[in-house]
Amino acid sequence: MNLWESAWVIARRDFVASVFSRFFILFLLAPVILFAFMIFFSLTTDAQDREASQPVVAVVTDSATSEALNQTRSRLVASTSEQSFPILRYVNPAENVPAQAQAMLADESSNYSAVFSGTLDRPVLTGPMRASDFVGKRLRLLVDESRRSAALDGARAAPAAVELDRVITDRSSGNVATQRRLLGQAAQTLIFGITLMLATLLLSTLVEEKSNKIIEILAASVPLEAVFLGKLIAMLGISLVGLALWGAMAVTALTLFYQLVSNWVTLPSLSPPAVGWIAFVPLVLLYYTANFMLLGAVFLGIGGQASNIREIQTVSMPVVLMQLMVLLLAMNAVNGQEGALTWFGYIFPLSSPMAMAALAAKSGALWPHLLALAWQTLWVFIIVRIASRMFRRTVLKSSTTGSFFRLGFGKKPAA
Amino acid sequence: MSAALAIEAKGLFKSFDGKPAVRGIDIAVPEGSIYGILGPNGAGKTTTLRMLLGIIEPDEGQRSLLGNDQPLEMAREVGYLPEERGLYPAMKTRDAIAFMGALRGLPLETGRKRAEILLKQNGLGDYVDKPIKSLSKGMAQTIQLFGTIVHRPKLIVLDEPFSGLDAINQGRLEHMIRDEAASGTTVIFSTHVIHHAERLCERIAIIAGGEVRFEGLVSDARERLRPQVRLKTRAEDGKWRSALPKDAVVEDDHWTFELPKTGIEPLLKALLDGGAGIEELSVERRGLHDAFVAIAGESAAREMEADALGDAA
Repeated sequence: MNLWESAWVIARRDFVASVFSRFFILFLLAPVILFAFMIFFSLTTDAQDREASQPVVAVVTDSATSEALNQTRSRLVASTSEQSFPILRYVNPAENVPAQAQAMLADESSNYSAVFSGTLDRPVLTGPMRASDFVGKRLRLLVDESRRSAALDGARAAPAAVELDRVITDRSSGNVATQRRLLGQAAQTLIFGITLMLATLLLSTLVEEKSNKIIEILAASVPLEAVFLGKLIAMLGISLVGLALWGAMAVTALTLFYQLVSNWVTLPSLSPPAVGWIAFVPLVLLYYTANFMLLGAVFLGIGGQASNIREIQTVSMPVVLMQLMVLLLAMNAVNGQEGALTWFGYIFPLSSPMAMAALAAKSGALWPHLLALAWQTLWVFIIVRIASRMFRRTVLKSSTTGSFFRLGFGKKPAA
Repeated sequence: MSAALAIEAKGLFKSFDGKPAVRGIDIAVPEGSIYGILGPNGAGKTTTLRMLLGIIEPDEGQRSLLGNDQPLEMAREVGYLPEERGLYPAMKTRDAIAFMGALRGLPLETGRKRAEILLKQNGLGDYVDKPIKSLSKGMAQTIQLFGTIVHRPKLIVLDEPFSGLDAINQGRLEHMIRDEAASGTTVIFSTHVIHHAERLCERIAIIAGGEVRFEGLVSDARERLRPQVRLKTRAEDGKWRSALPKDAVVEDDHWTFELPKTGIEPLLKALLDGGAGIEELSVERRGLHDAFVAIAGESAAREMEADALGDAA
């Protein structure tokens, strides 16, 4: 039998055994745990998000208006915080300002949440209307304060507040960027969460073989690489079954929800990821697969060295910490600038799948994904190879089963 | 060496953590034979078998399994029962046997059918759908044995197969080993119980301290020792006593000594002429146990006996 045939025999046994076990029921309840994790995750990263998602407003006015708005903003920021107001960026007005505003908001390479035009007395704000209307409220405040300040300078009475003339658009380039960042973050959270749930299981999967003393039969029949790959494939299959089930349930629930509420409210349209939905969904699945196989191979390698559940528990905490560090590295692809650390996140094999999933949401090029997937696949094989060799060297010794963790302790005395 | 060797190993050497486990193992197992590896626990039997099967790699030396120096490539043709028995507790007996066959390339469906036949042939038809965890230890061991042969291998390797079995199951296993060999399958097994090897094997390797002390026919091992003479005479003393070797010992009125190189006839004549008054005289061929003691040493033999007692307990 070749490597894949052997791996298939192992995978089939593990898959059937797991699907018909109590564990699988618990696994199907995982979305509840994942949902809780996502809430926790979104709370802890809220501050970081706000900083990263500070809206940028293009100010397409004469320079005097722009200057007045900027001065007011500086004054108010000094007594509040930088994040309390959108960033204002001056843009030279074209002949047809409304058309210019529409074009700027449609341009995905720019990052504008809205366009301010007109004058302080007749202000116009073009852009999408969000539920919080943060941009609209702050711009109105800036306009009012600027007018009040001008009145004070001219020793005039305080002017009455003016309403912004709103031109509502479907979307803005800034909103698209924000939505894509959120999409990338959601993909990362999904990939991370499911892998985290299966981590301990993967760590302990070889302990079952060792405690049942089947490992020697497997090692005598098929290459150990096939045993490792088979176990990874089985666990991946189980998680994909779970994902398909949860996905179907989520789609059904969302469809029902949309049908129910669409009669009363207009729901905002979700911007597609940069690579488009048709490429994004398979890419996220492929990156999930790569992430699972990569981290799974590492866990299997570590777990293979343990000889009992207690040793597994000992290594569980460092493993979770390692996963968190990998996640933080990958998160740079979502929130950070394209610096060295972000590139390291794309290239480092263990963070590459999550970082690249985020890249798929925010950048339209497809070729980096082909490169990344090939790179990640190569590393799956490298790690499986190293793990199986370590396993053969340290665990399959003589008639007494050895353990890397014992490091010489607890050996049987020589006869 | 003849070309028809199922296993050939030359100079196998393996050490763990710097300590040698086996040192220069040479063995040759002819196809279709029953071959025993004898030695006390810790002698290096399991390490030797694992190296022969490709589970671990030797540090030095060469081995070939069914003509291939990459043993795992011949996995389809090999059945292996390790010393530490293991099965998935939740698996049904039929599926466990079929799974072990599938690991060796046997289609699952074929494996299930053959498993049923094996179970029924051996009076275990009622256990086809029973999970392994519901079986007794001996029965589970039998199931694993069926899993070892379900794919009809050319070579069966059994590591301490009699260990943990009761007398009935030991007899059943001996019967099965003979049947497999009769159908042309090569069987190699390790044991620390000499009488199993004596009853079953044509050839043996005696391993002690990680080295092969003897490798060859069982009859050759026995013939390393001269037959033993037991004699009881009516006369307590007389001229006949000079015919006995100097190291002859008397116990319970019986003299025991090695048959002199000159043979039985001159001895008999000297006894008769010397007026011994022979009451009993027997010439016994020495057993494998005595040969083992002579080859591996008294301490190795004592360890083997202790191991066997441990099994029985």
